[in-house]
Amino acid sequence: MITLNDYAPIVGDEVVGQLCRLAERLQGRRFVHINSTAVGGGVAEILSRAVPLLNQLGLETTWEVIMGDPAFFEVTKAFHNGLQGFKVHLTHAMLEHYRQVNRENARRFNWEADVVLVHDPQPATLIEEMRPQSRRWVWRCHVDASRPHLPVWRFLRGIVKHYDASVFSMSQFAQNLPHPQYLIRPSIDPLSEKNRSLTEEEIKAVLQRLGIERDKPIILQVSRFDSFKDPVGVIQAFRLVRRHTPCKLLLAGGEATDDPEGPQILAQVHEAAQGEPDIQVLLLPSDAHHEVNALQRAADIIVQKSTREGFGLTVTEAMWKGRPVIGGAVGGIVLQLRDYHTGFAVHSPEGCAFRIRYLLHRPEMARRMGLTAREYVRTQFLITRHIRDYLTLMILQDNPNSRLIQL
Amino acid sequence: MSNILDRTAENPFWFHECFLMAMPLGKKVVNLRELLEALLEVDESVLFYHLIQSRLALGQPGVEYPNDFALWAANALQDTKLAEKLSSFDPFEYHNLGLVRQAVVDILEEYLWDLPTVPWARSGFEFHFCQASVVVMHSLISANTLKDFCAALNRVGLDSIYYHFFEARWRLGELKGDDFSFWIETNFGLPELVTAIRDLDVYFYSLKEVRETLLGLIHQHLGELCDYSE
Repeated sequence: MITLNDYAPIVGDEVVGQLCRLAERLQGRRFVHINSTAVGGGVAEILSRAVPLLNQLGLETTWEVIMGDPAFFEVTKAFHNGLQGFKVHLTHAMLEHYRQVNRENARRFNWEADVVLVHDPQPATLIEEMRPQSRRWVWRCHVDASRPHLPVWRFLRGIVKHYDASVFSMSQFAQNLPHPQYLIRPSIDPLSEKNRSLTEEEIKAVLQRLGIERDKPIILQVSRFDSFKDPVGVIQAFRLVRRHTPCKLLLAGGEATDDPEGPQILAQVHEAAQGEPDIQVLLLPSDAHHEVNALQRAADIIVQKSTREGFGLTVTEAMWKGRPVIGGAVGGIVLQLRDYHTGFAVHSPEGCAFRIRYLLHRPEMARRMGLTAREYVRTQFLITRHIRDYLTLMILQDNPNSRLIQL
Repeated sequence: MSNILDRTAENPFWFHECFLMAMPLGKKVVNLRELLEALLEVDESVLFYHLIQSRLALGQPGVEYPNDFALWAANALQDTKLAEKLSSFDPFEYHNLGLVRQAVVDILEEYLWDLPTVPWARSGFEFHFCQASVVVMHSLISANTLKDFCAALNRVGLDSIYYHFFEARWRLGELKGDDFSFWIETNFGLPELVTAIRDLDVYFYSLKEVRETLLGLIHQHLGELCDYSE
């Protein structure tokens, strides 16, 4: 089992020591996380690593997953798209089904907590059924809610306003709410199967197994097949690059159990890639962390050309591997990629193609940007910083009106 | 000089650790006039966040402007001239945040006065206001002598440097003050060193550079015995 001390060689002894001292103030507190998927997607990944570490630090931390039928996930996907600005239509029946599924889940749960962190809209309405089960309720929005579709936000605001606090990934996503709002950036775990160091042999073995030759520079995008990740835009960019420079494109995508749109987008990708032998579409299972790790390390350039993005952990992962990254200039990607320093943020397939060409022709610049990016991730976006933020959030929940808390 | 380095302080310096949690207000402005109007109203903690605290919240490499307002002028309004004006402004020249607020307001007002149109941010690049909550606790590191102090400065996290050197100015209500120079002054005198620390042009330094500069100053004023490593 991975322990906190295993992180010391990566982040420094002082960082681990700080976590222990902070956690001393919170011994025995009950901290419950609730989301809607146990595997697939950034939230499940973060929780799978953070929950054991919080327990090691002495907080009684549990992770609950709500269950739902396909109709429920259709509704919550509409919430997700609506929060990201799509003009979705919600009927009374859909909203009632959403509430009904959460009521059924509430009957199944028997936890009690000092603080419960409810991730995203799927389980948000649990508060209506379970308010007395936790001293403090905090809603955690992982989605790019900078320009939500008003009817969707109006409905969710009616629920979220009952919470004691909200947490967003960026200040742009914060809303007019009657309670304190906090910023917590997501994180990656440098020791997870997806991010740990790999030997060259391990990388080669994965490439061989997936049938990928390294005969040309590899451009890679790893993401769900979701319209906001713009895989078709990546193919457009790749076709522009190919006019000038030989390279190959890998589109590697996982599936999340709460995303019903995946197959439809995948079909669009196959259609766009038709007739191009240097585009490979890899449909990976949600637990293919080792394969994703190897692909990211084998890639020459990593792209995350999202048009909306809560944060973009695939960008963080790629940066941690010292790869040069080109991302869509949206959401948390802007926070991570600073032109010419830690990567490039682009606004169009043309911009993406231009930066790919730039980096293919300037390998030294690409290497330097990769190194800067890795150091930036080390200080800002590793799980140790995330744990520190969770602990700080817990302490702030004891003193919600105080801006300076001396322990 | 070696005596002063080994002399025991009347009160040891206890380093504190500082955990900052940014708190967005959910309030944004889209053009320069709205920014000016909002700056007249927001709490001083908001001003402090955007001028000083944000450097601890997210230390992005290669940022060319020292505060969020200048950065916004450059990136969102695409107005480099205004960004330059807002960068040259130094909040530590003022005794309190009330005066700092007035100074920023004056810059924006004068700038707007001569403009034929109000500069607007591109969509998605609005200015979002934040403040922060700070949790502070004792570290396990203290210093009884200046020699200990130098060694400790090398060991503590950057959050401690932030707390004692930047947050202190807010806490003490005196933007010229900081915990380090105060401790040296009250325990050892050393007016030249104290003045040198207080006169540092720290606004452009990263926290790591502040640490190195402080060690360099002590080294320079007190001689070779206070060696430091980077």
